[in-house]
Amino acid sequence: MGLRAKMLLGFLILAIMLLVAGVWSIYELTTAGSSVQKLLNDNYRSINAGKMMVEALEREDSGILLLLSGKWKQGRSIIETGDELFQKGFTIAQSNVTIPGEKASVDEIEAKYKAYKDLWIKPIVDTSKEGNLGWYFQEVHRAFQDVKLSVENLITLNDQIMYRTATDLKNRAHRAIMPGIVAILAALIFTVLFTFLIHYYVVSPIIRMIKGIQHFMETGDLPDVQVETHDELFDLVSSIQRLVGQVRTAGALQ
Amino acid sequence: MRPPIVLRYVGLVLLLNAFFLLISCVISGFNSDSAFFPLLYTFLISALFGVFPLIFIPPTTTITNKEGFTIVILSWLLSCLVGVIPYIMWGGEFTFTNAWFESVSGFTTTGSSILTNIEALPLGLLFWRSATHWIGGIGIIIFVLAVLPHMGKPGMILYRTEMSSLAVDNFRYRSQKTMQILLVIYVGLTFVETISLLFCGMSLFDAVTHSFATIATGGFSPKNLSIGYYNSAAVEIVIIVFMILSGIHFGLLFAALTGKISELWKSATVRYYLMALTGGVIAVMLSIRGSQLYSWAKALRYAAFQVISIGTSTGFATIDSSIWPPFTQLVMIFFTLQCACAGSTSGGIKVDRIVLFWKAIVKKIKKMQQPAAVIKIKMDTVALEDDVVEVNILFISFYIGIVFLSALILTALGVDILSAFSGSAATMGNVGPGFGMVGSMSNFSQIPTLGKWVLTATMLLGRLEIFGLIIFFSAKSWR
Repeated sequence: MGLRAKMLLGFLILAIMLLVAGVWSIYELTTAGSSVQKLLNDNYRSINAGKMMVEALEREDSGILLLLSGKWKQGRSIIETGDELFQKGFTIAQSNVTIPGEKASVDEIEAKYKAYKDLWIKPIVDTSKEGNLGWYFQEVHRAFQDVKLSVENLITLNDQIMYRTATDLKNRAHRAIMPGIVAILAALIFTVLFTFLIHYYVVSPIIRMIKGIQHFMETGDLPDVQVETHDELFDLVSSIQRLVGQVRTAGALQ
Repeated sequence: MRPPIVLRYVGLVLLLNAFFLLISCVISGFNSDSAFFPLLYTFLISALFGVFPLIFIPPTTTITNKEGFTIVILSWLLSCLVGVIPYIMWGGEFTFTNAWFESVSGFTTTGSSILTNIEALPLGLLFWRSATHWIGGIGIIIFVLAVLPHMGKPGMILYRTEMSSLAVDNFRYRSQKTMQILLVIYVGLTFVETISLLFCGMSLFDAVTHSFATIATGGFSPKNLSIGYYNSAAVEIVIIVFMILSGIHFGLLFAALTGKISELWKSATVRYYLMALTGGVIAVMLSIRGSQLYSWAKALRYAAFQVISIGTSTGFATIDSSIWPPFTQLVMIFFTLQCACAGSTSGGIKVDRIVLFWKAIVKKIKKMQQPAAVIKIKMDTVALEDDVVEVNILFISFYIGIVFLSALILTALGVDILSAFSGSAATMGNVGPGFGMVGSMSNFSQIPTLGKWVLTATMLLGRLEIFGLIIFFSAKSWR
């Protein structure tokens, strides 16, 4: 391989190392950016929806207690507001099914909420249920706890995924930095190696050749200069040796 | 010494690393795991650094002893450094110190790990981790059987004298086919073990990675519970057989494979090696059975696997031996120090030196009884000179001294005495697990950072046979 090709290869290797590291860092950073967006879209929305549903359920529970104590108007008003809030939260959660297991969790909430709603949708005031704490604790409160637990499970599921995504983000940030560090170190080592080889196989033979020519000019005798590589430098040394030979022959003829 | 020639051959070793990095990268790609880019980039760096000297530096037909030795030492150190890159780029539990520890442990075929959850690693990285063992194993074989015998020092005579005359006839060290023969045996054993493990029901990935670790007497497993994960007697038997084979001198294995199986038994070293392992298994079995830990069958099964695993410097585990009685632990520590035969991928003091040590004691006793007698120590049919015996005793003393010094540093760093001593002995002997906090079902993650660096130094010292490093740094010793 010629000297030009060897040098080109050296610089090409440096360029490849830096280029790949750069591309990789950009890729990792871009992925990290989309992970943050994903985290906000997928998990944070569901967690907020879950919190909304829990808040609604607690309001509904207070409303039921008011109905039990005979306060129909206040009770129904609180329950209706709670139901609206719950439906709002549930719609968000239903339209934001993005992680494994979330669909089943949402379906479970829907079924349990339906069972819970069936208990308080029917009249309570002026019926046998009014003031019936036994009925409340046996049926209503249990159903309320059931839905609340399902909603909390949905929140926990999203929390876990959010934690995992955050850890992944940390790793991605690490992976975005590392190629740069490794590339810089590798490029430095490679530069030292490249410089050493250039010195050993290019600069040193040139220096030896210069000294040889100076020696020839002073004494008329050219020492043997060895070039291990078969490149342009080898051709140059051979040409100089041939030239010196011709000069000697011409001198001898004169 | 010609530095470019050294660079050229070190480049070849980097290319070997690059080849395995590429395979790991492909595995990672197929599984779409997070180690793809770290492995790809390390492959690229390794390949470019390997190819460049090959193109730039013209080939040569002659390499001097010093150049050969420098190539081996540098190849080892650079391989360890290349091995660090995918770990540290991937992140997780890998800080630089942890990555260096894992890499040195892999290439020196030690098998000690800092990982608390091995199974959390992506498959590509797990494959690379096992491949470091296999590459390191090849390095040991070439170093011990092709480089050291040419050094001409008395300490290295062991590597030439330990084989029976027939094996020497069959296995000519200086022949150009040496490397080919060694590689065929090495690759062949790996292949046969992989097939055997597949028949035992292991997945291809697990079979290959465990074969890599067994033939190199390494001990890295892709499972947190090591071989205990499979709970299969068949798997354990296959691994036991290959651990024993990998602990025998590869020259003798070659003689056996060419139809001279009786040669194995004719070798005093192999006889002692097999008898010591059998004795160790029986002693440990009786001890753990006596302490009512297991039934007779389980005691035999666990004792056989654990003793042979430690006694061949492999380091796989099927059970936590840290809970075994103190007597058992001492027996295992003896095997941690002794390990298997020279000329194998095993580490430790080596059976050959222990045999020679006992023969030197017997000679000394006879000399005291008959001062005028001329007594020669023989290894099989070869009479050994006094300086060989002297270097042997010096080696053992030096070895124990380094283990003690390393344990001393670890205890100064706050590590308990059992963990410090067994951990130092296990890393120096390239065995892997010790006892206490570095037991067979634990890891080295709790060792302080400075302690991890000390242990990696002992791994390298143990792997390069102490005197190898001394010769490397001693200019006068070069012929």
